Amino acid sequence: MTQSHNPIHPAALMYAEEAKAGKLSRREFLTRTTALGVTASAAYGLLGMTAPAHAAGHAQQGGTMRMQMEVRALKDPRTYDWTQIAYFTAGWLEYLVEYNSDGSFEPMLLEGWEVNDDATQYTLNVRRGVMWNDGTEFTAEDVARNIEGWCDRTMEGNSMAGRFAVLIDESTDMAVEGGIEVVDSHTVRLNLPASDISLIAGMSDYPAAIVPAGFNPDTMLDNPVGTGPYMPESLEVGVKGVIVRNEGHDWWGYAAGKGAFLDRIEYIDYGQDPSAWVAAAAADEVDMTYETVGDFVDIFESIGWERSEVASGATIAIRPNQLAEVDGIRPYADKRVRQAIAMAVDNAVCLELGYSDLGEVARNQHVGPMHPAWADVPGLPYDPTKALELLTEAGMADFEMEITSIDDDWRKNTTDAVAAQLRDAGFNVKRTIIPGSTFWNDWTKYPFSSTNWNHRPLDTQILGLAYRSGEAWNESGFANAEFDALLAEANSIADADARREVMGKLQAIMSDEGVTIQPYWRSLYRHAKPGFVGWDMHIAYLPQIYKIGLAA
Amino acid sequence: MGLFILRRFGVMILTALCLTFIVFWLTNLAPNLEKLAKTQGNARMSDEAVQTWLGNRGYLQPLPIKYGQWLGVVPGYVIEGTDGEVRGRCIDPRRPDDETPRFCGILQGDWGFSTVAKEDVSEVLPTRLANTGKLMFWVMVVMVPGALIVGVLAGMREGSRTDRTLSTASIVSTATPEYVSGVVFIALFATSAFGMQWFKGSASSAVQDATFENFFLPVMTIALYGMGYIARMTRASMAEVMTAQYIRTARLKGVSFPKIVLKHALRNALIAPFTVIMLQIPWLLNGVVIVETLFTYQGFGWELVRAASNNDIEMLLGVSVISVFVVLLTQLISDIGYVFLNPRIRIS
Repeated sequence: MTQSHNPIHPAALMYAEEAKAGKLSRREFLTRTTALGVTASAAYGLLGMTAPAHAAGHAQQGGTMRMQMEVRALKDPRTYDWTQIAYFTAGWLEYLVEYNSDGSFEPMLLEGWEVNDDATQYTLNVRRGVMWNDGTEFTAEDVARNIEGWCDRTMEGNSMAGRFAVLIDESTDMAVEGGIEVVDSHTVRLNLPASDISLIAGMSDYPAAIVPAGFNPDTMLDNPVGTGPYMPESLEVGVKGVIVRNEGHDWWGYAAGKGAFLDRIEYIDYGQDPSAWVAAAAADEVDMTYETVGDFVDIFESIGWERSEVASGATIAIRPNQLAEVDGIRPYADKRVRQAIAMAVDNAVCLELGYSDLGEVARNQHVGPMHPAWADVPGLPYDPTKALELLTEAGMADFEMEITSIDDDWRKNTTDAVAAQLRDAGFNVKRTIIPGSTFWNDWTKYPFSSTNWNHRPLDTQILGLAYRSGEAWNESGFANAEFDALLAEANSIADADARREVMGKLQAIMSDEGVTIQPYWRSLYRHAKPGFVGWDMHIAYLPQIYKIGLAA
Repeated sequence: MGLFILRRFGVMILTALCLTFIVFWLTNLAPNLEKLAKTQGNARMSDEAVQTWLGNRGYLQPLPIKYGQWLGVVPGYVIEGTDGEVRGRCIDPRRPDDETPRFCGILQGDWGFSTVAKEDVSEVLPTRLANTGKLMFWVMVVMVPGALIVGVLAGMREGSRTDRTLSTASIVSTATPEYVSGVVFIALFATSAFGMQWFKGSASSAVQDATFENFFLPVMTIALYGMGYIARMTRASMAEVMTAQYIRTARLKGVSFPKIVLKHALRNALIAPFTVIMLQIPWLLNGVVIVETLFTYQGFGWELVRAASNNDIEMLLGVSVISVFVVLLTQLISDIGYVFLNPRIRIS
C-alpha cells in the first residue's frame, strides 16, 4: 500500500482551502499537511500546484566533494549534540522522515504515516524493499526497536527521550507498555497516552538516525551496518572524515530516484575560526562550507563562491536566569527587572550589530512567522526611559548585571549589543566572555547569558524544550503554571489554526514576563565553489548529503 | 661519560614524573572532568548525568590511584556501571576478555586512549610527531645555514655597515613573535589584498603532500624567529673570536681575510651557536604550537592545543612525556657535542 492510496487527512483538505484563501502561507501549509501524513507532492497537488522539481535532474553521477566542517567523534546517535556528527554518519545511518527547508516532511525509510484526529495514534508504514547493507531486510521490528531506544531515558545524554517524552513511562523511564505496537512486518503503530503533534518532526531530527540491531557505538566504524548509500572510509577526529559509495549495496534510493550522486565525500576540519575556512577556500582545499556566518558571507562571495541562503528559526536567546542567585539575592526573579531589560533593548540594533542584518527582527517570544501556529502578538515596546524607571522601582538600579557569552563572532557581538544598549539606558552592566571549550559547562546556570538555539519545525517544540518548568534545558529558570498548562493544551491541538489561539496566549506570556531577549531570527548561509548542485543550506542543518552532486 | 649520561636519564625520568603528575592533577580537577564528560557525553548534560558518566568510567577514583593506574603500578579499574555495563581501564573491545591484563599503564607500554581522537595515544602521537618532524626538518634546513651565514657576515667586521644592517634585521625578526609574523605573512602572501597571492594560507594539504606553495609560509614563520636569535649569538661569538690574539697574529703574518675567517675563526666561533641551536629546538616547539594552529597543520603542536582545549587527559600526558624527552635529549646532545667541539671542557 503506497501512501497516495491512503485517504487524505480531513484537516489537510481544510488547510488547502485556507491556503487557497490566503489565510495560510505555503510553507505553513506544507508543514502541517505533511506532518499529518500527506506526501509533499500530494500536498502541492491540493493547492493545484506541482511539487518543485529537484535540482537532482541536473546532477552528474560520480565525483568528489570536499566540505569544510568540524569533524567530531562518533557516538550513539541519540546523544548527538552537533549536526556535524550526523553529516558523517548520514552516509549509512538514515532517517525515517526528512524535514525540508520548505517546511514539508518527506517519508524516507517510512513510506508514509497517518495521524488520528487528536494526535494520539500514529500509524507508520515502513518502506518496502529497503535492505540493510549486510543483506537483511529492513522491517517494522527495526523501527519499533529504534523508537524503544529513543524512549530510554536512563541512557546518559539521550536527547531523543525529550522528543518522545509523551511515550515514556515516568516510573520506569522506558517506553510505556503497549505504546509501540508492531502490527505487521511493515506497519508500526504508536499509541500515545496523551496527544502529541510533534513526533513526526522528532523523527526527522538529526539524532533520530536509524541504527541496526545490536548496534554498538564503539564499533560503528569497523562495522558500519546501515541502510544508506555510503560507508565510512576513514575518520580522524578534528582532521578529516571520508565516506565513499558502498559499491556492493543496493540502496533503496537508487530505485526511488533519490540521488546519492557523489562517489566520495570528504569532510575536512579547519577548526572554528572562519578566517581559516576562507584560507582553505582560497587555497582550493575545500569545495563548500558547512555554514558561513556573519561578515564572512561577503568575504566568501568576494572570492567568487556561490551563496545559498535560508531564513530559519535559528536564533539567539540572551536571557536572565530567574533562579540564579547573585550575592545572596535573586536579581532576575522580579518581573519588573526582566521587563526593564527587554524594554531597554532595541532588537533591530542587535540584528544590525550582532549579525550584520542577515536575518529578521524577532519579538522575544521564541516563536516566529516560520512556525505554523505563530500568532501575531506584539512584543514589549522599546522604551529605555521607562525601562530605567522600572528598574529603579524594583530597587535594582545599582545592581551590576554580569552578562556572559561564548567567545565567537556573532554570539559575542549580539551580546555586546545588548550590553551596550543596557548601559546606554543607564543600567550597570559587566560583560564576561568565556572560551567555547568551557562555556557549555554551565550554560543553563549563568545568571545572565546568551545561548544559540537551532530551528525547530513546530511552534510548541522550543517552548517545551526551553521554557517549560523544570526542563533540563530551561536556561531562564522560567516556571509558570499557567504557561505549562497552556503549552500542554497547545500540544494536543493538531490543527494549527485552533492552536494559534493558545499560541497567542503563550507568546503574550513570553513577552509580558520578559523571559528572554530573543532579538532576531537568523538567516543561514552556505557557500560553495561554482559547479555543484543540491548543496542548499538546510533550515535545520539536517544532513541531506545524498542530494549533493556535481553539475552536469 | 657513561655515568654522566646515566645521570641525565635519571633526571629525565624524574622530571617526566613530576611534570606528568602536575598535568594529571590539573586535568583531573573537577571542572575539567565536567568538561570532559560534557564533550564526550552530551554538551547539554545534567549534573547528575555528568556524575554517573564520570563514575562509570573511573574518573572519580582518588587522584594517586588514577595516576598509579596511568603509570601502571596500580591495577587498572574495573567498574560495573550504573547502566549495568562493565568498563575497565584495560578492557579493549579488540582483545578477548580473558587476555585483559591487570596492569596497563605507561610502564607496560600502554599510553592510554585519546578521548578526542578515539584512538590509542600511541597511534596518534607518532603520526603527529612525524608531521612536526617534517616541518622542523625544513625549518632547520632554512634556519641554521641562514642564521650562521648572517651571523658570520655580521660578526667578522664588527661595527661595519654590513654588521649594522644584518644585526638590525636579526633583531627585528627575533623580536617578532610567530603569531604576529604568521598573520602578517598570511595577509601579505595568501590573500588577494596586496596582489601577491603566491602561497597558501592553509597547510593542511601539506600533511599529505608538502609543496613549496603550501609549506613555505609556516616554515618561514618559525625559521625567521629562530634565525634572528641564532644569528645574534653567532655574531657575538664571531666578533669575540675576531679580536683574539691568534687572529691578530694570523693577520700580522699576512694571511688573507677570507682565509682567516674560514680557516681560523669559524670553528671556534661555532661552539656557542651549536649549543644555542640545540637549545633552540625545544623553543621551536613553542613556535610549532602557534604556527601549526594558525596554518591548520596537524602536527604535535596542533595536537597539544586540541588535547588541552578538550581536556584529553591521556593525550596531554603523552605530549608531556615526549616534550620532556625532547628537551632533555637535546640538552644532552648539546652537552656531549660541546665536549667534542671544545677541548677545554671535560666531562668527568
